Parts: sequence; C-alpha cells; structure tokens
Amino acid sequence: MLRPLGREVGAPTSAPRRPKRGGVLLAILLPGFPQFLGGRILVGGFALLLWASFVGIGSIRWERVVAAPGGGWDERAALLTLLCGLMAIWTWSIRDATLGSGVARTDGSWARFAREFGRNRVASIGLGAVGISYLAALLAPFLAPFDPAFQGDLVVGRLSAPSGAHLLGTDQFARDVFSRLLYGARVSLSIGFIAVAISMTIGTLVGAVAGFLGGWWDAAIMRFVDMVISFPRLVLLITVIALFEPSLFVLVVLLGLTQWPLPARIVRGEVLSLREREFMVAGRALGFRAPRLIFRHLIPNTLAPVTVAATLGIGDTIILEAGLSFLGLGIQPPTPSWGTMVADGRNHLLGAWWVTTFPGLAIVLVVLSFNLAGDGLRDALDPRLRR
Amino acid sequence: MSNDSRPKTFLIVLIPLLSLIGCGDGGERTFAALPAFCQEVMRDMDRFLGSFEDPADGRYGGTAVVGGIGEIPGGMNSLVSADHGAAQHQIFVNQMTLIRFDEAYDPEPYLARAWDVNEEETEVTFHLRDDVFWHDGHKTTAYDVEFTYRRATDPETGFPNAAFWAHYVPGPDGIEVVDSFTVKLEMRPHAEALDPWRALAIMPRHLLEDVPPGELRQHPFGERCSVGNGPFRFVEHRSDESWAFERNPAFPEELGGPPFLGRYVYRVVPEPSTLLTDLLTESVDLYLQPTADQFPRIEDAEHLRLLTFPFRDYVFAAWNSRRRQLEDPRVRRAIAHGVNRAQIVEAILGGSGSVANTGVPPFHWAYDEEAVDALPYDPERARELLEEAGWVDRDGDGIREDADGVRMELSVRYNTGNQERQEIAEIMQSQLRRVGIEVRPRAMEWATLVSEITDAERRDFDGFILAWVTEFKVDDTDLFHSSNSSAPYGWAGLEDEEVDRLLEQLQVTVDREDALPLWEAYQQRILELQPFTYIYFRERGAGLNERLRDVHMDARGEWVTISQWWIPEEERTGRPLVARSP
Amino acid sequence: MIGYVLRRVGGAVPLVLGVATIVFFVMNLAPGDPSSLYAGPGVSPQALEEVRQNMGLDAPVHVRYIRWMGAMAQGDFGHSLARGQPVRDVIRDLLPNTLLLSGTALALAFLAGILIGVLQAVRHNTWIDSSLSGASLFFYSIPSFWLALMLILVFSLYARNVWGWPVHFPASGMTSVDHAWMTPWEQVKDRAMHLVLPATSLALVLAGGIARYTRTSMLEVIHQDYIRTARAKGLPEWRVIAGHALRNALIPVVTVFGLYLPLLFSGTVFVETVFAWPGMGKLVVDAIGQRDYPVVMAGALVFAVMVVVGNLIADVLYSVVDPRIRHG
Repeated sequence: MLRPLGREVGAPTSAPRRPKRGGVLLAILLPGFPQFLGGRILVGGFALLLWASFVGIGSIRWERVVAAPGGGWDERAALLTLLCGLMAIWTWSIRDATLGSGVARTDGSWARFAREFGRNRVASIGLGAVGISYLAALLAPFLAPFDPAFQGDLVVGRLSAPSGAHLLGTDQFARDVFSRLLYGARVSLSIGFIAVAISMTIGTLVGAVAGFLGGWWDAAIMRFVDMVISFPRLVLLITVIALFEPSLFVLVVLLGLTQWPLPARIVRGEVLSLREREFMVAGRALGFRAPRLIFRHLIPNTLAPVTVAATLGIGDTIILEAGLSFLGLGIQPPTPSWGTMVADGRNHLLGAWWVTTFPGLAIVLVVLSFNLAGDGLRDALDPRLRR
Repeated sequence: MSNDSRPKTFLIVLIPLLSLIGCGDGGERTFAALPAFCQEVMRDMDRFLGSFEDPADGRYGGTAVVGGIGEIPGGMNSLVSADHGAAQHQIFVNQMTLIRFDEAYDPEPYLARAWDVNEEETEVTFHLRDDVFWHDGHKTTAYDVEFTYRRATDPETGFPNAAFWAHYVPGPDGIEVVDSFTVKLEMRPHAEALDPWRALAIMPRHLLEDVPPGELRQHPFGERCSVGNGPFRFVEHRSDESWAFERNPAFPEELGGPPFLGRYVYRVVPEPSTLLTDLLTESVDLYLQPTADQFPRIEDAEHLRLLTFPFRDYVFAAWNSRRRQLEDPRVRRAIAHGVNRAQIVEAILGGSGSVANTGVPPFHWAYDEEAVDALPYDPERARELLEEAGWVDRDGDGIREDADGVRMELSVRYNTGNQERQEIAEIMQSQLRRVGIEVRPRAMEWATLVSEITDAERRDFDGFILAWVTEFKVDDTDLFHSSNSSAPYGWAGLEDEEVDRLLEQLQVTVDREDALPLWEAYQQRILELQPFTYIYFRERGAGLNERLRDVHMDARGEWVTISQWWIPEEERTGRPLVARSP
Repeated sequence: MIGYVLRRVGGAVPLVLGVATIVFFVMNLAPGDPSSLYAGPGVSPQALEEVRQNMGLDAPVHVRYIRWMGAMAQGDFGHSLARGQPVRDVIRDLLPNTLLLSGTALALAFLAGILIGVLQAVRHNTWIDSSLSGASLFFYSIPSFWLALMLILVFSLYARNVWGWPVHFPASGMTSVDHAWMTPWEQVKDRAMHLVLPATSLALVLAGGIARYTRTSMLEVIHQDYIRTARAKGLPEWRVIAGHALRNALIPVVTVFGLYLPLLFSGTVFVETVFAWPGMGKLVVDAIGQRDYPVVMAGALVFAVMVVVGNLIADVLYSVVDPRIRHG
C-alpha cells in the first residue's frame, strides 16, 4: 500500500556528468533547451517558453520597458519582475547544465518534498499556472495593450466583440477587456495572497498558543474559535463593509481577519501531537522559554499543513471577493478586479458574452490551479495520501 | 450499488426531500397562518365578494404575472409606505384615490365624482361616489377620507410624504366632513394643489381607526391582509416572493367595471438576468424596468415587445457648494460642459431617455424647450470656465489647482450595487479628467450614504449621484430655497435671492399662464447656478409578452391601465382559475 | 446519549449569545439610521423623532441591548423595521424555504459526492478517477453566483427556447403561479422542478469536497484485511464495496457535514438572490442594507443556531455510524 520512501532518497537517477562547454553555451543562448534535450521535457520546455516570452515582451514593448524606470510603481515593479525573471532562468539553467542533473540534490526534507511534488504532473501544472498568473499580473503594464481605465467612444466602441484590435472585446465603457483582465489579476491575486497571509499568521499563532498551553487556556481559545466559525462570515463581512467603505485595504484586512479559525484548528491539532515529541521534551528539559519553544520548534514543524491550507485558502478568498462584488461590496471602480468584472458585466451575458465570460474563466482557472497545487502539496507532504 | 446496505445517514438527509410533499395548499384557502385580525378580514372579503357573479364575456379571465426586482415595502398601507411600487399598487390596483389623471395629465373623477374649489382657492370640496365598497362590504365614505387625512398629517404616524401637505392645514382643523359623501379641506392657493389626492390612496377607517398612529407601521393590514376598494382585491402575500390579487367583481360599472384579468400576480425576482430569462421563457408576462442593456434582447424575441415611456424620475449629481472647489457657479457649469451627457444617455440608457437640465420633466407643461441645449458637451468651454474661475494646472499633473494650491479633486458618492450610478460616476471620472478635474467615485452602502448626505450639520461630501422621482407637482423648495440650506435636503447649500423669490412666487401662482414665465426664469436661473448637474430623464422600459393585451404605460405609472389588460382565452396558460369556496 | 446532547446544547448557549452580542454591536456601530430611510423630504424633525421613537431607536445603545436581550429571552424578536411585521413571522415564512433548499442541496451533494468518491476509489488511478477529480475541483472553483447564472442560461433559457427540451426548469421562485390549483401530485412535481437548478448549483460546489473525502477514506478501507477476507470469501465485488467498505469509509465523511454548514449558508445568500428563492440568506443581506436591526440579529442568531445544531447532528451521526464511539 505504501511505497517505501527510502528508495529514491538521495539516489541519483543518472550518473554524474562532467560539465560540457556546449551545454553551457546553449544554456545561455536558449535556457532550458539543454534540459529539454536531456529528456526533462516538461521542466526544460517550461523554462524555455518562459524565457522566450520574457524576451518577447521585452523586445515588443521595448519603448515601455525603457520608459518604466521613470514611471509609477506599477511600471517599476514590472521592470524588476522582467529582469529578475530573466536572471533567475539563466542562473538556474546554467547551474543545472554545469552541475549535471541529479547530482547536487541535497537531501533535506524540502528537497525531497519538492521532488515528491514534481512527480505529480497535474499539481505541477497547477503551480505553474499560478506562477504564470502572478507573473502576468506583475508584468501587466508591459502586456496590456490599453490603459485599463481608458474609455473609448461610448456609442460606437462599447461592447464590441473580440477582434484583432481588442483581443477579448470591449466592455460597456468601451474599455479593453484583455487589459482589464491583466490589471484585474493584480487586485484579485494580491487580495487572495495578502488576506491569506494575514489569516495564516493569526491562525498559526492562536493555534500554536492554544495547543502549547493546553488545559484551560486551550479550552477557552478553542471555544472562541468555535464561536467565530459558527458565525455567519458573510453577514459579518457585509455589515463591516457597510460600516467602512469598501476599499482594497478594508477588504483585504477583513477577509484576512475572518478566515483565521481554520488554520488555528489545523495548527492546534498539529501542535497537540508534537507537544510530547522528543525534541519538545528536550527543549523543555533544557529550560527554553515558551516563546522560544513555540516559535523555534513548534511553528516550523506545522508549516507544511499551513502551507496547504494557505494555498487552498487563496482560491477561496478570490471566490469570496467575487461574491462580494456580486453583492456590490467588492473593489470600487475604476480599479478592475475579476470579481467586479464578472459581477458588473453579468447583465450583458446574453448580448455580449465576452464581458463576463473571460474574467469568469480567469477566476475558475486560477482558483482551479490553486486547488490543484494545494492538493499536490498536501499529497507531497502527507505520505499517507500518496497513492 | 444496492439500497439495502446504505447507511442510515441517508434517511436523515432525505427528510428535506420528503417535505416537498407536505406543503400543498389544496384548492381551499386557509388563513390559519395569518394573525387573528387578518383571518377575520379575509373571511369577510371572501364572503362579500363571493356573492357577486363573475362577468361572462370572453375577455374576462386569465392570470397576468408581473416581475419586478424589488419587494413592495410598506405593502398596501399608504400611510407608511414611501416606495414607488407600493404607491402604484395602492392607487391603481388595490385601493383608490380621490382623483386620477387622464392621459393628458389633467385631473379626472375617480373616487370623487366631482369637486369644487372656492373663489379664493382656499377650500376644496370633494363629492364622493356612493357606490364604492371596501372589499369586505363596507361602503367607502367621507369618513374614510377624513381618517386618512388625519392620520397622514399626524406626526406620530411618520407619514413619509409630508411634502404633500405643504398647502393644507394639517390635523383635524383642516378637514370637515359635510355629509357621508362630501368632504371639505382648507388649503392655500397653488397651481397643483390637488396633486396629493392623486397620489394618496384612501384607507379604510372601520378597520384601522383603533390602531394607534404610531403602530400603523407594524399593523398586519398593509402586508398580510389589505382591504382596498380598487379594481383588484388582495389575496396573498408571500414575503420576498409574490403578491397575488384577484378581480374585484363589485367594482363600479361607471369606472369601467371589474377588470378583465381574473388574477394578477406580482413576483419578486431580484436578479435582472434571471428576470430576463423568466420573460424570455414566458414565466412572467411583464418585466418592469429592465436595464437598458437588456432592451435589444427583448426587442429581438419574437413573442415580446418593448414598451418605453417617459417617466418622472431623473438622475443628477448634486454638488456641495460649501466646498472650496465647488463654490463658484462657473466651476459647476464647467462640469456640465465637461460631461457628455448625450453620450451617457446613449451608452447607459441605450438612447431611451433625454438629457436633463433642470428638475422639470419633458412632459411637464412648464418644461422649457429652450433649455434643452443650454449646456452642451463642450470641453473647450469647460476649460475656459475653469480658467476664468482661477483653476489652472499649476504642477503639470493634468489636474487643476487654485491659487492656494487646492486640487480640483471631487469625490463623488453613489450607493453600492447601483450599476447605473456607478457607470455614470465612472464616465464622469473618465471625461472630467480631460478638462482637469479629478473625480473619485466612492461607493457607499445606501443607508450610510443617506445618513451622510442628510446630516445637515456635517455635510461631509463633495458630490453624489442620486435619482429622484418627482410628483406631478414640481417643487424644488426643499432642495434649493435658502431657508432649507441647513435642512436635510439642502444638499447644494444654494443661497440665491432670485431662486428664493421665484420658488416663493411659484408656490402661490395658481394660473398656469401666469406661472409659465416664472417657471422659465426659474429654469434659466438653475441652469446658470448649476447646484446639480442634471444628467438625464430616463424613459422607463418594460418587456411585455404580446399575449397580454392593451397594456399602456406613461408618466402616471406602470399599472395605470391594469383594469384594461386582458389575455385572449386561447393564449392563457396554466390551470383555469376555479372559484374557491370561502 | 441524551445527556451528551444536553451538555452540548448547554455549551452552545454562551456561544450563540456571544454571536448575538457581536452582531448587535457591529450593527449599531454602522452609520445610518433606519428612520431616515423611511422618511421622504419635507419630513419635520418632530415627525422624524416620532418615527425613531416608534422604532425604539431613541434609547442609547446599551439600553437597547439590554432591552433586546430581555425580549429575546422571552422569545420576542421584535418587529422588522422595513417590513412592519413581527420578525418571528418573517422568519417563520422564510426559514423553511432555506431549510428545504439547503437540505436538498446537502442531500444531493452527499449522494453525488459519495457515489463519485466510491467510483474514484474503486477505479483509482484510472482516467475515470482523474477526470472525476478534475470535475469536482472545477465546480469547487467557480463563484457560486456565476455557476447559478450559467445554469439558468443553459438549462432554463437555452434548453427551452433554443433546444426545445420537453421539460422546463424554472429560473426563479419556489412554485408556479397556478400552484394552488394543481393536484397534490402535480404540486410535488412543481416544487421539485423549481428546486432542481438552485439545489444543483449549491450541491455542485459541495459535492466535490465530499467526493474527495470519500475517495481518500475509501482507499484506506479497501486495503484493510477484512475487505480482503470478504473478497476471499467469494462475495461479489459490489457487495464488498457497498456492504463492507462503504459503511466504514463513511465514518470520516460524516464529520464533513458539520464543517460544510457555514459554507452552505454563505452559498444560499447568492443562490437565493439569483434564483429569486425567498429565504433567510437574502433576507439578512437585504436587512443589513435597510438597517433592519431586529431582522439582522435574529437572522444571524438563526444561522449560528443552525451551525451549532448541524455540528451536533454530525457528532451524533458519527456515533451512529461508528459504534466504537459512545457518548456517555
């Protein structure tokens, strides 16, 4: 039922190779290509494609790239992403080509985990898609053909079908849907990321403290967690958004502050099982203080399940943001988010399907990717589920 | 997979499915779920109306289903409801008003068969019909009118349309019952003094007299068992779902007799896309106020027709002239020049509407035709005006500043979830940027918005977008008279002597010919001062299934001809309505 | 068992009270006064004050809180400000609708989820397994209002008007207009037809998760000794799966029941709005907009109670399906 774990640990899959000069040259000119030739089609192809698209974007949008350092933060971030991305691919490709594959792998738990994850092809594709969507969001200023807030001629230009000029058509204000989709990714993805970061931090702390202290404290804290969980989250969100104004900041903080009970429960469960393990007993015997025990010993050991919960949580948050937009409580215009794009365009569903279908698909695909990646992470972390 | 070994869990989760079965109403009506007051009232109505024969003509019968986005808040209780749909159901469907308007918007007899006004225009006497019955068999008399008036002017009731009585003497002193069918009211002269009697449905005294005014809002009458005297009787209200009415067979012949429809159902469908689907799949016969984006879908469908008609609501952006950026009328005029309102009408309304310049609607007799093009889209003129007023882009960021460096930045509020106003705000933002004004749209939840803009002490806003339904009596005193500048609705904070003078004169000028020049002067002055940027008068739309015949709508409302709606026998769907035993 | 249930209920009381208190103060912190929503222009300040008094809004917050808690203790939820009706009546009208919808959705989700999960486990690591996994994840990744709109578009509009299907799934409402004139059998059918789309759109989201749990737990069970024994006895495969494996695999799945309730109730807010289903979710959202304090608080309480009860049911079910667990 369980495959013996030891089989692949540390065992090189191919004999060490000497660095070849041609390989290095190839790795510089076409990073990823040597790996592609070497039989690792998926990884090599992915790197090659990514590299090609970076170079492509850079050359096609050359004037924007050059103008970026003088532009706003959006542009500078995009430029930074472009440069770092290129450097990273080159570094990886050259290192990989010079060292040969399969040799220098450290046998840390993370490396094993990464390999385990890489074995799951669907999950890898999910993770790749997530990565690409974050890259697209960061590079939006270079990718987007139009200003997302620019309104064309409202009479002639509105709701025009997808065409060469407007890849995904225009919306009810004659704005380019494709450009809005790219800029919308920034909002939707960062909402998901930041909100989940907030909730995971709080949840981990609360869960670790409850599990570590145990007894009466644990009971009291978990009662409170139960209360928050049985609280209709949407009611709270709607009420509080009405109380403040629905800005990006308020939304992110609120989404983060209402999601922590779940990671709290997970972390507490983990901590309860870790509490009596040797390293904890040893730590206590050595007289370590509680904060040190919690932060240095307990929390690092619960990171794996929290990462899984976070990955799945980002998808949930993106969906929830879309739902709030449907109720008119999402991000305010003209900032596009995928949720508001779907919600605002839904009256055109019958006449101009492209206005909502593309952002809708974007949500589904990205959330799906997060969920696939999350599932893969969980499987890779929990050998019990690996089948 | 077999059933025998399925765990017991399934039995438990299947219970809800079984509850499908227990819920049938049967043909018999039961009132057990209603409050005691209602049980009695409903039985009385069934008993009284059951004694009348239904007309036999082939046009009679059938059910019409009307779908709308919202509930009918306040229901059939005209003393506490402030909602348009509620008022329409009261005055056209379930209850009656003293007078009604004909197609030319001139008053004609309804519950009152005649009325006369004395020489000084200080007294109006209504002579009521003596053949109108409440649906429970009581006659409608002058005492009902007196009761309604006294409650509506009693502050304890909290009557939402207090402006109705600006020209009347509130309370028991203002009204006198001469005899059972004659009632006399005291008033001050006004060109549209009779307007409230078109808008206020008369309520039954015999049922509500004992209810303390402060508890009228909570009384089951309006929501659970309304007793009216109009062409349709109340049958059932399911919260958030539907209202059902049936023909009143006792409706006086002289007023057109019983309506053709056997049953009229108003359904609440909050999501526009769903409601459009309902119309397209013939689940509703009439879709009220579809969004302009949906117009083409309705026009394209074979069995549907799109009705559009001018209505009394307009959309405007109100500006707070107490703000540094907005204190100069030239700035406010520049805003009007800088926004392409004709394009907004085209884009948001699909062309069914007209650019508004003041609050006087196009079909109104005092509408100033010359004002139509007074403030055309002219960004160049807008820039000039701003420059004249001292707003120049001093730091080169595209947005203007005044001499002290105050940025021309306006936050414009609208209520969350209102797509139309959101779209207007977005268009204003995009277009005004081109003349150097930065607009920041800010969505606020409706209740927050209302409480913030009506807070007369703080006035913490630059501008906001709102829609307003006027009565036929147009009177901007609440909005623009300087004495109301610190009242809840004195949003603009306008303090202009000429506007004050004109508003006061308009109040007391009865003759339309005398009033017309005043109206024109007033509209010109408003154009100059621009306390609001009036955006447009909307033409309302309705999607209609063609099987429903003789539907006519105009500025009086959607339900104005409901008594004449009919469905040819062969096109009726659903089961025939068999009379149910009381 | 009864003692255990009683103790759980007793433990839930402070929890529900806590929820009520939080909702009360959050609602009262929110700007906006209902009285201003129900008055038009020209209302005198005096009249407005009367309205506020009628609505009981003139007292300070803590007085109102005590008053409200006192009334609650006597089972009096007060009157809805927007509807004028007693809150109890409004909830009595709408709660059964929400229970019908979410109950059906849960039943559908568990049926479909367990079936899919078992199928995946039996055929695990085949294309059936992976395509079903993909499908469950796909439905889990769609915003529920979007899924609901799509279902309407496809199965209500296109199915009837374009493809001419003989059955029509209504897009809105709970019953047809002529429901009262139908025979009892037709009435059941009518209600069921109206339930199909809303219940499906809720169930699709949940079924995926349940399928995943079932699959995992089923896979664990299938490799146990007693299953091998059963097979060795020569029992037909379906008897092994349905009779022996499933019963044990379902134990952990039952816990999902309690976990999914809050998710389900959030879903009803959207689904009820899209399908014009008169229920609690939409009621509460509307009431927040109307600052209808009594309704919001009562609604939040009802939701909290339902979640607590749901968790309790899950625990009780747990001990029913797993004889090893006995709550003394």
